[in-house]
Amino acid sequence: MSPNNTKKVAFKTLGCRLNQYETDALVTDFDNAGYQLVNFDESPDVVVVNTCTVTNQSDQKSRTTISQAARANNNAVVVVTGCMANNFKEKLESQDNITFVVENNRKSSILSLVDAHFSGEILHPNQLPQDVFRYEPVQKSLHTRSAVKIQDGCDNFCTFCIIPMVRGRAVSRPVAEVLESVRKTIENGFKEIVITGVNIGRYEDGDVRFEDLLAKILEVPGDFRVRISSLEPDGFGDRFVELFKHPKLMPHLHLCLQSGSDKTLLRMRRMYDLQQFRKTVEKFRSVYPDFNFTTDIIVGFPGETEEEFQDTIVAVKEFNFSHVHTFKYSVRRGTRAERLENHIPEKIKTERSAQIRKLSEENKKQYLTSFIGKTQQVLVEKITQGIANGYGQHYIPVRFKAAGVQKNTVHSIQLAEIRGVGENMYLFGELND
Amino acid sequence: MNLIRHEIKIDESFYKVEEVRQLTNETFSLKLPKARFAFKAGQHISLGIHGDYQSREYSIYSGADDENLEVLVKEVQNGYFTPKLRKLKAGDLVEIHGPFGKFGMEPKDAETGKFVFIASGTGIAPFRSMVRTYPEIDYTLIHGVRHSEEAYDRIEYATDRYILCSSRDKKGTYHGRLTGYLKGCTFSPETHFYLCGNSDMIFDALEILKDKGFERDQIHCEVYF
Repeated sequence: MSPNNTKKVAFKTLGCRLNQYETDALVTDFDNAGYQLVNFDESPDVVVVNTCTVTNQSDQKSRTTISQAARANNNAVVVVTGCMANNFKEKLESQDNITFVVENNRKSSILSLVDAHFSGEILHPNQLPQDVFRYEPVQKSLHTRSAVKIQDGCDNFCTFCIIPMVRGRAVSRPVAEVLESVRKTIENGFKEIVITGVNIGRYEDGDVRFEDLLAKILEVPGDFRVRISSLEPDGFGDRFVELFKHPKLMPHLHLCLQSGSDKTLLRMRRMYDLQQFRKTVEKFRSVYPDFNFTTDIIVGFPGETEEEFQDTIVAVKEFNFSHVHTFKYSVRRGTRAERLENHIPEKIKTERSAQIRKLSEENKKQYLTSFIGKTQQVLVEKITQGIANGYGQHYIPVRFKAAGVQKNTVHSIQLAEIRGVGENMYLFGELND
Repeated sequence: MNLIRHEIKIDESFYKVEEVRQLTNETFSLKLPKARFAFKAGQHISLGIHGDYQSREYSIYSGADDENLEVLVKEVQNGYFTPKLRKLKAGDLVEIHGPFGKFGMEPKDAETGKFVFIASGTGIAPFRSMVRTYPEIDYTLIHGVRHSEEAYDRIEYATDRYILCSSRDKKGTYHGRLTGYLKGCTFSPETHFYLCGNSDMIFDALEILKDKGFERDQIHCEVYF
């Protein structure tokens, strides 16, 4: 694209880390092709909305974002992709304010679609190649850390979950491609990578399982840190625990419990019970006492009694999750849970959600307090008004005075006190390089 | 934007029904041509009816090497899907996706292990698949039903390996719920248990087995709804 003909592109992403990664990869594509990256309110020629459909709230946010994007940019090419594009494809295709609806498995080729549009070629999204791993390593990113996608899809069919329907069968990216992507991402200047997918614990390429792949990633030369995005709590051996002794692997896991009640877990068709979850947590904390666990909890799943909900409260306390991502159960069409009896009234879900959130904040404060007086290696994500923001190894939010400090650098910070409240609570410290 | 509407393509995920095999007034098996995919006994498929937007998951009822792919279906009165399945005739099309799931054992373990299968109602489906796939498998099948007529294809199981627990009549091996029978059982410590059925049965059976000292890793569950 010639400089005097530069087109402007804006992105909006909803939902999970995987979506964020895929947007980042698209940003890299468009940047390399000469497009100018702008905000929604800077009259973009192209708007890409990468949607989510995991809950009713996600659907609502996605719809609102699409409407806002289209309304604010009348003449822009509006591309809607992501899980909502799979779940509500025909409905979205019938909307006049959307130019293209691109399903997840064709998302990586959105640049070709947009280029073809501007060059007058008539190309339908269905003609784009289907490949969930076609993404280039991230160069230009909207974030400091870069995800590396190793897997897509899920075969677990948890009764509440729409993801197998919108992301498809579990598929794993070949080992060589993953390692190449890691190498290039590091070469592109990223100091932290996040291993990402829909159900990454089920990674399988020939004889190489998730733990094997992780070991190989950790051996890639370079100065970088590795994080693991959310993980299903099943099938970990001692080797996985051992891997966290590697200095590159950060001591934090987002392990999705969903409920502290075995009865509810069975109805959710989860692959573990509370005792198995407990064993995993205890195994880690016996080796790494300050290991950080965060989790997802669904409240108000069909049939969840007060007693079952109290089991969840007890579990959240017991496992000291430093953050609980709380979801009120919402019906997803076509899932088994849609057909379960005893759906819980919205009022009760809201009350239960509030209780978990309150507990999560208490846990967070307790966990952050345990780091006062200690030192964390903090990767600086942004600097605002002289204050650097970033995360320590344990994925705890840290701020400090940014004298002489650059973004995307790691610094040793002596943690002094807790500031902020609720979700915005963080540790404030002093530079101690 | 002008969209090109494509006709639904009849591809290899569509199967023609060969037979609806009636087992009781409410329960039938859907016999389809031989599976065009390899599967492990215990896995399930997603089944849809051609022209209908909904689908349901069913454990595969046939063995991995059988001439037909089969699923076991109990009609839900006033349900949406199963009454439609029941009305299918030979030649009608169904759409199959799969196989899915990790419920089942590795073939080498099937040859050497000791297994107890615990099923309620149509939860027997994956166990028939296992028994047909691994004819030499060392198993005991405890099947809980309301009425003894629900002992689907009972003749296929060795009489000393099949325990029928019927709660509404006395024609089974045991009169009462299978959990009642289970409480009185003793099993060798190396036994692996496979449970398939409704979540209440599975929860109760799990508790009984854990009380008997079995590790959770020895107990494998597949919940039916």
